[in-house]
Amino acid sequence: MCDSSGRLVAWMDRELAENEAAVVEQHVRACEQCQKLVAAYEEVSRGFAAHYTAATRSVISAETSRKWPRFVPVLAAAAAAGLLLLALLPRTVKPSPVVPQVMEVRPPITSEPQSTPVEPVRGRHVVAHRKAPNQDREMAGPAIQIAIPADSMFPPGAVPEGVSYIANLSLTDGSVQAIRLQR
Amino acid sequence: MSGDSFPLNLPLPRFATDSCEATYLYRELRKPLLRYLTGLGLSADEAQDVVQDAFLSLQKHLAADGSQQDIRSWLFRVAHNGARNYQQSYTRRMGEPLDPVFDAASSAETPEQAILAEEKFHRLDKAIRLLDAQERKCLMLRAEGLRYREIGEVLGIPTSTVSDTVERAVKKLAEKCNV
Repeated sequence: MCDSSGRLVAWMDRELAENEAAVVEQHVRACEQCQKLVAAYEEVSRGFAAHYTAATRSVISAETSRKWPRFVPVLAAAAAAGLLLLALLPRTVKPSPVVPQVMEVRPPITSEPQSTPVEPVRGRHVVAHRKAPNQDREMAGPAIQIAIPADSMFPPGAVPEGVSYIANLSLTDGSVQAIRLQR
Repeated sequence: MSGDSFPLNLPLPRFATDSCEATYLYRELRKPLLRYLTGLGLSADEAQDVVQDAFLSLQKHLAADGSQQDIRSWLFRVAHNGARNYQQSYTRRMGEPLDPVFDAASSAETPEQAILAEEKFHRLDKAIRLLDAQERKCLMLRAEGLRYREIGEVLGIPTSTVSDTVERAVKKLAEKCNV
């Protein structure tokens, strides 16, 4: 029995280290017995592969009968998701320009306007109260009330008895700009 | 305008690469895996289920940035372990190995050659049945082109053990077949 006979299959399979393979190769070239063994091992190796392939041939042919392996739809779905994501996303992202923050200079607030807190109404949208356009103007400045007899302004019988009006006058530069009657 | 833009760095290219990689591996390794699993004793349907599960695992493995080194032995190992779920048929078939159908017509030119080839085939078949399960697995993986190191990774044994097992198995076959 040769020293190299225990490594012939590994040598055939190119599994030996380079220096070890060189030693075995040199021996096989010189040893007729090992050459026969190598030939026999190659033959049974080919025979085993043929036997193995023949034994499993039916599975390979049956495999083609399956329409959609489960793996394929998963890949297809993954690829579709990727494409969709690619299509939805912009190709480039434009960074938003840097705008220097400029503080708006406002006059100092000397007094906060008194506002009545708005109670939220259940089941309804809460809308912030808006002041009437002329509310500020009406409230601005001292209110002057002048009592004018109705008889002097309206024809007799036009105003029911017991009803009086308050006239709000809007004054600008000492002259009356508007008169508003309030019952 | 174009000066203001920069490429969007998304995992999408990696994702697409993984899908392509998995598809390529599926095309290349599907049949070897099916053969190996059938050799382990699984039925055609069982083998197909295990192979598909193995590729689903591969997809997850690649998506999770798993190592792409030794991916062939990785797949074989996953399939090998998956076959254990079919323990009943696995044990049954490993007790009574491969049952090939000899196709004399494809390998012989004359009737005499066909008879000789069939005798040789059945002698080899008999010798293969005398191998133990580990020897048979090593030879099947070797027939699929796996290196000893890869076979060791699939079966969970050292490379040196694979080398010894393959050497021993091939010698057994040669002795039993009188070649």
